Amino acid sequence: MAVLNRMDWYDLARTTNWTPTYVTEDELFPPLLSGAFGLPQNAWEKYDEPYKQTYPEYVKVQRDKDAGAYSVKAALERSRIFENSDPGWKSVMKAHYGAIARGEYAAASAEARMMRFSKAPGMRNMATLGCLDEIRHGQMQLYFPHEHVSKDRQMDWAFKAYDTNEWAMIAARHFFDDIMMTRDAISVSIMLTFSFETGFTNMQFLGLAADAAEAGDHTFANLISSIQTDESRHAQIGGPALKVLIENGQKAEAQKRVDIAVWGAWKLFSVLTGPIMDYYTPLEHRKQSFKEFMEEWIVAQFERALTDMGLELPWYWDIFLNDISQTHHGMHLGSYFWRPTLWWNPAAGVTPAERDWLEQKYPGWNDTWGQCWDVFIDNVVDGNMAMTYPETLPYVCNMCQLPILGVPGKGWNVKDYPLEYNGRLYHFGSEVDRWVFEQEPERYAGHLSIVDRFLAGMIQPMNLEGALKYMNLAPGEMGDDAHNYAWAEVYKAMRAAKAAG
Amino acid sequence: MALFPLTSNFEGDFVLQLVAVDSENTMDEVAAAAAVHSVGRRVRARPGHIMRVRRQGGAEFLPRTLKVSESGLKPTETIEIIWEAPKA
Repeated sequence: MAVLNRMDWYDLARTTNWTPTYVTEDELFPPLLSGAFGLPQNAWEKYDEPYKQTYPEYVKVQRDKDAGAYSVKAALERSRIFENSDPGWKSVMKAHYGAIARGEYAAASAEARMMRFSKAPGMRNMATLGCLDEIRHGQMQLYFPHEHVSKDRQMDWAFKAYDTNEWAMIAARHFFDDIMMTRDAISVSIMLTFSFETGFTNMQFLGLAADAAEAGDHTFANLISSIQTDESRHAQIGGPALKVLIENGQKAEAQKRVDIAVWGAWKLFSVLTGPIMDYYTPLEHRKQSFKEFMEEWIVAQFERALTDMGLELPWYWDIFLNDISQTHHGMHLGSYFWRPTLWWNPAAGVTPAERDWLEQKYPGWNDTWGQCWDVFIDNVVDGNMAMTYPETLPYVCNMCQLPILGVPGKGWNVKDYPLEYNGRLYHFGSEVDRWVFEQEPERYAGHLSIVDRFLAGMIQPMNLEGALKYMNLAPGEMGDDAHNYAWAEVYKAMRAAKAAG
Repeated sequence: MALFPLTSNFEGDFVLQLVAVDSENTMDEVAAAAAVHSVGRRVRARPGHIMRVRRQGGAEFLPRTLKVSESGLKPTETIEIIWEAPKA
């Protein structure tokens, strides 16, 4: 029997907006969940998805993708890549799996909201496939690390991290709860798929895949490249929704959602991906600096995506462009200094050769970030390890939940952005974080940062031991230097040589 | 006498930190408490300098003997700790 071509039946088959008679339209599509922006069903019928795929096609393609990724894993299982890889690279994997795997699974629920509650039939179809994508990503990124759990207890955090009060996970949950778990279908399409996935996941899944291949970890490179092929499809769910909103006079609301989500995504990537690319990945395997990746994927490509859509660049774009040279250095220094609070072992990444690379990629690094590292390195060389650890908490932002930081050393420029709201003093890491709060204060006001929880007596005893217990970090899980400070040997040798004259 | 949390922004350091002081501490004592978490960890000591306290963005240092309870500082308010060079 002849089969019709897809495009001969696709539009008709997915035109499933019915005229409800037993219930009202608002009962069928509750505005809080549907996010209809006051637009009737027929306005959303103009939603035209750029990526038209049918279910049988989807299943066939996904089966092939799975077969590819799983067979590479099976073939390389005996290669002992994990055992033989640089400890810095292992930390990349641990950070990635813990931060990402369960978030992907949670994203299936966000996709399901678009699938059920969007008034746009085309979005419902794309989100059906997107939901299945996210389940696949959750499963794969739990299954792949599982083989290493018996070798390294920190690998257990691939599953465990999302349920803990570890500070980076509080930050990740705060962001994802905001953009995908507690928003209506249309807002999810704008904030999760357009802003976060189109804008940023290329960084983690293509940039990092390039580094993984360079590091010889083809299992990981294949896994995350396979995932990215799904992301690049379902990331397109938001674009046509933006078009509908702009055509119907809702550009300001659309723009606001983009601006909020892009900023939050940036902050999260500055702590997760920045240190990985510029410090953990062994020098010889680095393809580009984090800043260069950001400039290629976000500044060049995402800027174009925004303007093509008829949107403006976020109002804070100049702040953002400045921050991509700085913020992640602070996130690295902070996460490294507070390393017992991580579920991975951060690589310092500050040997003289690595510092030369940093200085070349980020002129002025030695006079700023390097000044703090100089003191740290002296302490390691002197065996004064107590001074290489913290004795208090960094103050974290009440929006992004990450440390409030800025440029140290000779270019010292660190600032708090406070705001008093309903008698409570909030602290923010930037003008933009504070602006996000001000857009909808009641949405965020009740949340307690890790510092707020500490001050409220929720963390006992009120010291590092109590904080680690609160974060569910057991002995054998808490982070320490990835290379056991072996990198400091070169500094010891330099000092000995200097002393010898 | 009461525990009083402040947020320390220490000159030369990269991050704001929580510092617990006492409401009866002087500004010199506040600066010393803040220094514990920055100097010798990520900021080099500056022999001969005095550490002064000011409100974030403030033009004037708070008097060295001023007590926290007299300063009008709010709990968790951010203070800047600045190195003051010895007078020649």
